[in-house]
Amino acid sequence: MRFALSAERLAFAASLHDLLAAADTPAVARGFAAGDYEPGRTLWKRLAELGVAALTVPERWGGLDAGPVDVVVAFEELGHHAVPGPVVESAAAAIVLAESGVTTWLTDLARGEVMASVALPPHVPYALDASVAAPVLAVEHDALSRVDATGGARSAAMSSVDPARRLFTVTGGEVLARGEEVRRAAAHAFELGALATAAQMLGAGRALLEMATGHAKARVQFGRPVGSFQAVKHRLADVYVALELARPLLFGAAIAVADRSEAAARDVSAAKVACAEAAYRAARAALQVHGAVGYTRECDLGLWLTKVRALMSAWGTGTVHRARVRAALAGREVRR
Amino acid sequence: MNIVVCVKQVPDTWAERKLRSEDKTLDRESVDGVINELDEYAIEESLRIKEAHDGEVTVLTMGPEKAAESIRKALSMGADKAVHLVDDALHGSDVLQTSYAMAQVLRKIGFDVVILGSESTDARMGALAAMLAERLGVAQLSLANKVEIDGGTIRTQRVADYGFDRVEASLPAVVSVVEKINEPRYPSFKGIMAAKKKPVDKLGVADADIDAAKVGLTGAATEVVDFVAAPPREKGTIVKDEGDGGQKVAEFLASKKFI
Repeated sequence: MRFALSAERLAFAASLHDLLAAADTPAVARGFAAGDYEPGRTLWKRLAELGVAALTVPERWGGLDAGPVDVVVAFEELGHHAVPGPVVESAAAAIVLAESGVTTWLTDLARGEVMASVALPPHVPYALDASVAAPVLAVEHDALSRVDATGGARSAAMSSVDPARRLFTVTGGEVLARGEEVRRAAAHAFELGALATAAQMLGAGRALLEMATGHAKARVQFGRPVGSFQAVKHRLADVYVALELARPLLFGAAIAVADRSEAAARDVSAAKVACAEAAYRAARAALQVHGAVGYTRECDLGLWLTKVRALMSAWGTGTVHRARVRAALAGREVRR
Repeated sequence: MNIVVCVKQVPDTWAERKLRSEDKTLDRESVDGVINELDEYAIEESLRIKEAHDGEVTVLTMGPEKAAESIRKALSMGADKAVHLVDDALHGSDVLQTSYAMAQVLRKIGFDVVILGSESTDARMGALAAMLAERLGVAQLSLANKVEIDGGTIRTQRVADYGFDRVEASLPAVVSVVEKINEPRYPSFKGIMAAKKKPVDKLGVADADIDAAKVGLTGAATEVVDFVAAPPREKGTIVKDEGDGGQKVAEFLASKKFI
């Protein structure tokens, strides 16, 4: 199998990187944490102009109907720049809506006019950032519901380890669709959400490694840059290896989801676990290499550290995904 | 309206740039090539003119095969088609010869407006727009930070030390734009995918009626006689303040003739 990305996908990633690098995303993430959502919404609209919000929306609703590989390419860059908000949830919600035959919000989602959030219990029990999202959706069994503030179904937010994330319990609400297609849509959306979360972690891990190597080259101790010490070099090299070994699993899983392969669930779970471990290793190493300054709020590093920790258990914890890999290897049916 | 935007591929501004020892020309192989940053403003302006007045944007590039990457990026931003002038005979051409070669192509493909960036970040001549206008016998509106087209008339604001001049001419014309005239767009998913299918017309010197004897290193009016690598940065001097710090600073500034 050939994992190398096409020139077009590399160009798309480069374009997103250029936009985000110039957009001061750390300030946007800090704003989100403080409850100032406007810069986040504006950034999402700009990303939507490049097509990010339309990737999972069918063409007839103004979407791009792009495949999981394109989603992975985009979300790796979003993670690379720690873009806050219900971005994975918006992409997954578009799948749930379109495949359940509910077309109401699809055009607005594709344009980035609205962001959506979605709870897919049991593994996605809460709706992320429901306070910026409309619609907020939930799938219980075979019923897709819209839950929102006006319906009184939204409880208070729970805080996350990542201050830029807020989790909302959702119950009840207006049923939009019911049936076997809803169940299938939710299963598909879960795979894509887990995949996009894994991609974000790979991107975040890459950013952490970049920050750590940048610091190791600049910070001088004992008369030389700390990066010249072998113990630091090895630690960072291990991070690089972990990220590079997670990458083919991620793209392999994207191809499996695109092909609707029977092994898709297993591959997505393996990718999620590998990307989480690689990103966590990157976070630990980056924090250690930075020394005390890495713990400070003023240092941007913390935005990525907490994001990685939160994403590790979002869209299925490590335990859930390991269990899915184990079930697949044992020849049992893999469920959401 | 037929809009042509001239785009040059240059070595990445952040990379270490070198000259080749054998013929003292720029080493374009060992570094990544990117679109000359200042040309991105020209591309954006050409797209805005197209959006306001209809028409077609053609990217014109002269450069080696590798420059095709930069053409692709310009097309993914929204240009409609491209002409790539590529020929070994052009290697080592200076700005005078480049203006001759590109003028020949422009005569062949036709234009209402030709837009360029203010200069290239590698050679930094900043003279191509003026030379093209002269060779083509059309008006030159240089260093514009605002461009307006109204029927057959083009008006620009030309930045100057004292503010700006208002310049007006009849089309066809050659315009060079400065940075800050606009904010260049980022290529979108759709734009990138569409660029794959856009036509790129590759021309050699013969196709564009360019006399090969008038271009290339041997016939260049300018010659690189010699070059040396930039000296490494010298270590700074650390002065310990023992009550006379201010005086030391003043002495240093005086030694550099700042005060």
